[in-house]
Amino acid sequence: MNTLHDAPVLRVEGLNIDYGSFHAVRNVSFEVQPGEIFGLLGPNGAGKTSTLSAVEGLIRPFTGAIHVAGYDIRRQPLYARACMGVQLQATSFQPELTLVEILRLYAGIYGVNLTDNQLNAILRDIKLEDHAGKRYGQLSGGQQQRVSLVIATIHDPRLVLMDEPTTGLDPQSRRQLWERIEAMRDKGHGILLTTHSMEEAEAVCDRIAIIDHGQIITIDSPQAIIEDNRDRPEVISASRKGKITLEDVFIGLTGAAIRS
Amino acid sequence: MSSTASSPALTAIAPGTLLPAPRTLPSTSAVFSALLRADLTTQWRNRRASVMTVLMPVIILIAWKFLIERLGGPFVLANSITIGLNAIGLMGYTNSIARDREKDIFQRLRVAPAPNWTIMASRLTVQLVMIAILTIVIFLVGYQYDHVALTATGYVAGFLVAIVGGAVYLALGQAIVGGLKNPETVNATSRLIYIAFIMVGMFGEMGALGAFMNKAVKYSPYGTVNSIVTGALVPGTWTAHTTIALLITLAYTALFAILGIRWFKWSNK
Repeated sequence: MNTLHDAPVLRVEGLNIDYGSFHAVRNVSFEVQPGEIFGLLGPNGAGKTSTLSAVEGLIRPFTGAIHVAGYDIRRQPLYARACMGVQLQATSFQPELTLVEILRLYAGIYGVNLTDNQLNAILRDIKLEDHAGKRYGQLSGGQQQRVSLVIATIHDPRLVLMDEPTTGLDPQSRRQLWERIEAMRDKGHGILLTTHSMEEAEAVCDRIAIIDHGQIITIDSPQAIIEDNRDRPEVISASRKGKITLEDVFIGLTGAAIRS
Repeated sequence: MSSTASSPALTAIAPGTLLPAPRTLPSTSAVFSALLRADLTTQWRNRRASVMTVLMPVIILIAWKFLIERLGGPFVLANSITIGLNAIGLMGYTNSIARDREKDIFQRLRVAPAPNWTIMASRLTVQLVMIAILTIVIFLVGYQYDHVALTATGYVAGFLVAIVGGAVYLALGQAIVGGLKNPETVNATSRLIYIAFIMVGMFGEMGALGAFMNKAVKYSPYGTVNSIVTGALVPGTWTAHTTIALLITLAYTALFAILGIRWFKWSNK
């Protein structure tokens, strides 16, 4: 039995998601612990975003249960959402609003009172104090990503969900974002992220799940997954430079064919 | 960082420490107030578009000065208000919803602890503010330029009925944005309906398009709204026909709202 301190911040059990006759997610189960970065990897259309959307409460699963910090996402959606912070793939803030206005909007929605000093501290922390009055639509991709992340954590959520957080970022911004994600883990947040980058998964994830055709193929630490699969012929044939990497294992397990 | 009693504080937490879960949620009024402030700011930043929305009926009001003796001041005021309500519901509201849906702005709000109804209620409140501004501007221009003076009851009743009339076009806009996904298609469709309402509505109501169209327009969303606004501006002229127009207006609103809510998807994906 779990004690309070090792209770998972996210528990997904027997998740099935159907779009008409198409089974997007089949019997997916996993947990994310506090202070853990959990990566969900898979080719396009594998079911990553559907799984994430179900956790966010944006789509209703056919069957299965999802608990965020103990709250059932279907029965107590607002409580569950209050315990999670979400960084969506798209730049989904009103482009007319300034940085400060967006921060105040989401602070208000999450019930966080921000003083001017606290607001300035946040902007200083994400190195955007000189851009406080700038409209969101005028920020660069990296700056938007930093804003998006700080908003996802403005209420100190137990669980942080990130959908391909480093897509489109330059190497410097990507490294900086990884450091921020690791800092969140060190503070006790549980983090679930989806990514196409094997480098990212290896660099920051404590555990990963590889999902394909809506099913989880394997769950473990990146290193353990490499070790467990390094001798498989399909993994060896996917290897390009002799040394087996997570990408080789991923391609070996999910196939080399390009997905739509 | 301080927080309300309902949410955890953003303080540094030692590694491995379990973060606190919220005991209660932020109050609905706090959520609504944050949303409304942001939506009003967005509307203000798009004020050029808002000015254009109000400008069209004002131009018609000024241009129709010579018709006041023939058609009556309240009728001309009501026509201008109806055209403005059309623009607010069909152009302003519909296009802003289509754009924000396309940008996933709604999805971002929906993954926060904001009840869905507060997101839409905030948007509708902004449109009510626009309707109030439109009505006041029309009253002022009508008084100053066309010398159309109403009784205090007429102004108040006209103001309230304008909100009822505006609801038809907001509901129609909701049905359009519910039935269509692509923002460009939404924009083109709402423009087409807007222009059709104005052209057919105005000319049809004056009898320029024949007896059949005159009758058809009377029972269209344009004609019924025009009727009730005209009736409200001069309460003494409110007849059984105006009451029927009011009932039809409410029926249109209910129909479009039901369709709009049933069809509406928060995301285009």
